[in-house]
Amino acid sequence: MNALKVALYILVYPGFLFQSGFSTFLEWLDRKVYARMQNRRGPMYTGWAGILQPIADIVKLLSKEDIVPAAADQRAFAFMPILSLAAVFTAGLYLPVWHLRSFNSFEGDLIVVLYLLTIPSFALFLAGWFSVSPYSLLGATRVLTQLFAYEVPFFMAVLTPAVLAGSWQISKIAIFPWTVAGHWWVIPIELIAFVVAILALQAKLERVPFDIPEAETEVVGGPLTEYSGKKLAIFRLQKDILMYVGAALVACVFLGGFGALPQGGDQASIGVLGLVFGGYLGGVAGLLLGVVGLLLKTTLVVFLLSTLRAACARIRIDQIVRFSWRYLAPWSVAQFLIVLLLKAKGAV
Amino acid sequence: MFKKLIKWARTKSPWVLHFNSGACNACDIEILAALMPHYDLERFGVQLKATPRHADVLLCSGPVTKQIAPRLKRIYEQMPEPKAVVAVGACACSGGAFRGCYNVLEGVDQIIPVAAYIPGCPIKPEALIDGVAKLLGKA
Repeated sequence: MNALKVALYILVYPGFLFQSGFSTFLEWLDRKVYARMQNRRGPMYTGWAGILQPIADIVKLLSKEDIVPAAADQRAFAFMPILSLAAVFTAGLYLPVWHLRSFNSFEGDLIVVLYLLTIPSFALFLAGWFSVSPYSLLGATRVLTQLFAYEVPFFMAVLTPAVLAGSWQISKIAIFPWTVAGHWWVIPIELIAFVVAILALQAKLERVPFDIPEAETEVVGGPLTEYSGKKLAIFRLQKDILMYVGAALVACVFLGGFGALPQGGDQASIGVLGLVFGGYLGGVAGLLLGVVGLLLKTTLVVFLLSTLRAACARIRIDQIVRFSWRYLAPWSVAQFLIVLLLKAKGAV
Repeated sequence: MFKKLIKWARTKSPWVLHFNSGACNACDIEILAALMPHYDLERFGVQLKATPRHADVLLCSGPVTKQIAPRLKRIYEQMPEPKAVVAVGACACSGGAFRGCYNVLEGVDQIIPVAAYIPGCPIKPEALIDGVAKLLGKA
């Protein structure tokens, strides 16, 4: 029975099926928002308002011919998409989307998720490296250069709320603003770290203005230049799930996750909605509201990412390195100091 | 059932690669116009791709100069199956204004198989959308 439950967790919710479905929805939303901001309509005729467009793309790619270049390392070439998909998918399992804590959560899962989210970048680098094409190689080296730029600010920004909450467990960080009455103000004081995390997440996802590794006017398709068919489909799915996991992580850590809602008996939930609904909806309904709350917050983060993508143009590789180390890293250090001072004064 | 799903996905998500084989740039501007906000080909799921490995449809303009012919062939061979070629503009269909010149091959179909011809000098973006839609209806 327990094994069945775990299998359901892994395969259906919050595992593979849910992650794939919701992340394709997020890609559709991202494309729609991007199109509307460019005065376009975006996908229209694939399902309602084009909502099935990402699924059509992936099914089409799965049904296409799969070319492996003769010069490429056959096994490594085929292994990289699977490795990166497995990494982001495993990271998604640690997110507390259902209960207060996910079935495999433990003290320190935030660090595990952060490391798992680094693997796709390395897989992308190795994918470009093993496909042995000049454009792939250039793109691959850019992936690594960019990784060194955004990774440290991202880690520092995400660890700030952890220090604030005094825990390395995502669910505890997420519930922290709602545990004591009137404690929600810890959300606005983390604004700087939130901005840094959004910018670094955009760089991690390699989207405009940080799409330097796959800048099509310079390096054709970047590390994915030689990928086609099924392997490209897996990479696309991986990118969507990475967007979902990254956005949901930011929503959990900075925006209070499923918070402000009743989550069963063991935690006091004193947010506004908790006060309103807590008396009437216990158990399942409260859980559902929590899930909807978290998904709405995730969607909000993706909306911010799309806005950033539509508003900016691509910058150069030296500019992103300079920007991260000159601005993002000091900003996150400043945020860290603010939080430490607050904690020292006993305000939190 | 499975075949139907694949066919649905293929008609809903044609990714295009734009290749200029010696055109005067007029058709290329019109292709870009079709992708821009006013006509917005992404409504039909069309996306412009940078590499032939990702593309399903090759939008080829120009009469194919003798120098570019082997490169065009190579680009075509790099695309994964199933693939289709659209000859964009009078030059790509038959040589157009360059017909009879010593250095051109008079049309894309001299080198690679063409699925749809869109004549015009230059083509209108509407003509391109119509041609691609007819091609997808045939698929």
